Amino acid sequence: MTNEAVQLAGLTRRFGPVTAVDGLDLTIRRGEVVALLGPNGAGKSTTIDMLLGLLRPDSGEVRLYGESPAKAIARGAVGALMQTGGLLPDLTAEETVRLAAALQRNPRDVGEVIARAGVAEFARQRVGGLSGGQQQRIRFAMALVSNPDLLVLDEPTTGMDVETRRAFWASMREETAQGRTVLFATHYLEEADDYADRIVLLRAGRIVADGTSAQIKAAVSGRTIRATVPGADLAGLAGLPGVERVETRGEQVLLHCDDSDAALRALLDATTAHDIEVTSRNLEDAFIALTVAGSAS
Amino acid sequence: MNLTYLRLEAVRLFRNKRVVIFSTLMPALLVLIIGGVSVGGDPDAKQYVMVSMALFGAMTAAISSGGTIAVERGLGWNRTLRLTPLSPGAYVLNKVLLALLVAVPPVIVTFAIGAAGLHVRLTAAEWVLCFAGAWLSSLPFAALGVVIGYLAKPDSVQQVSALINLTLAAFGGLWVPVSLMPDFLRYIAKLTPSYWTGQVARSPLDGGHIDTQAVIVLLGWTLVLAVIALRRFRVDTARA
Repeated sequence: MTNEAVQLAGLTRRFGPVTAVDGLDLTIRRGEVVALLGPNGAGKSTTIDMLLGLLRPDSGEVRLYGESPAKAIARGAVGALMQTGGLLPDLTAEETVRLAAALQRNPRDVGEVIARAGVAEFARQRVGGLSGGQQQRIRFAMALVSNPDLLVLDEPTTGMDVETRRAFWASMREETAQGRTVLFATHYLEEADDYADRIVLLRAGRIVADGTSAQIKAAVSGRTIRATVPGADLAGLAGLPGVERVETRGEQVLLHCDDSDAALRALLDATTAHDIEVTSRNLEDAFIALTVAGSAS
Repeated sequence: MNLTYLRLEAVRLFRNKRVVIFSTLMPALLVLIIGGVSVGGDPDAKQYVMVSMALFGAMTAAISSGGTIAVERGLGWNRTLRLTPLSPGAYVLNKVLLALLVAVPPVIVTFAIGAAGLHVRLTAAEWVLCFAGAWLSSLPFAALGVVIGYLAKPDSVQQVSALINLTLAAFGGLWVPVSLMPDFLRYIAKLTPSYWTGQVARSPLDGGHIDTQAVIVLLGWTLVLAVIALRRFRVDTARA
């Protein structure tokens, strides 16, 4: 019995000239809730496909609970929600979940899962006539009914409206409270921030940051000053001590600073700035700094 | 065997209606036209036509059932199944059992038309053996359907299945008796599985026995096609 749910070692996959996943090493322990965060094309889906054994890596190895993905899946240890397709339009929602349950070794109660995943209200309708968000809830129910140790979700809230998304994460929280290991891919920062114990930030097939939300924010030091500056001279503001970069948002300017104290003193001396706010950088800033700014260097 | 899976797959097949209607209607029309008009009053010819058409319907149904795999692959359903403990063997076995299930209605309908419309008269034993022969010898075509389901594209699978089906029916002697064919066509006929299914299904008409050589040839065809189908299932990992 290994303590590691997922072990990826030196995982690499190329598509023609593009290296989608580039020497990825990642270990996920039992009970962790991990977000695989990155912009489109960062290699999230390719990583998940290899993790589940749907795609063969060019090199490197995948172990789920110390076994090959195929073995772990055959044992019923893994449940997965994939991004697109994978449903039969001529079955009803309930039949689909019932079928998914029938194929598992140790399934949960179908009625309970249908209620939990929010499928009950359209349970008797054919899948083909349902909206993208409703189909996504069916996929979620199929993943839940398998009663897995490891739940893998590839962009789980794609196509869901805001309310459905909130309901989805509320039911996910109840799931993870029971000690299930979860890996989900997302490009929504707030989902990673709100629901993951640990965020793995991916860019161009490599891990650029790995830690709690707070650790990743801290990796990008500095603060932002937001102020209304009448007759602002952007070049002049950018030249103030401690200022790295200047942006405008309508009437307001944003000064991204490595030393906000020095910048603030200079700003008050040099201008008639008012309505001043100083904030530490959020996950979005860290995300941009690590994924976009990093790619230019 | 997973009964819930089998039941829901059967629900899908009969809900879609297309396979069932097409495979039953075609032989029903053919048996009326050829058996009722073309062959005149010869009772042996009527028997031959009835059993051959029943077989043709069973074969059509069995091939189309496997063809649904191509559509499922297009939908990404195979990826979904790969993420469950369902084994490749169970998946293919399931498709073959479904094929045998949808092969029943065309045989029943064609025999009913033969008995009521063409006044075909057989002993009870001959009816039973002909039914079993026409129905069960669709087995290699069920496996063939699975192979087509893996090799064809979702949007062309129907045309590909129909072409293979009609070619096999024609060259296997289901429409024109092999005994009326020139020598080289007779030789080709023996290379098709449909010739041997014809032998199995019609053999009870000559004294109520089953042609064991033909049965062995058909089992060979089934085995080879089933092995190809299993290999395709394992290779089939592409993202839909």
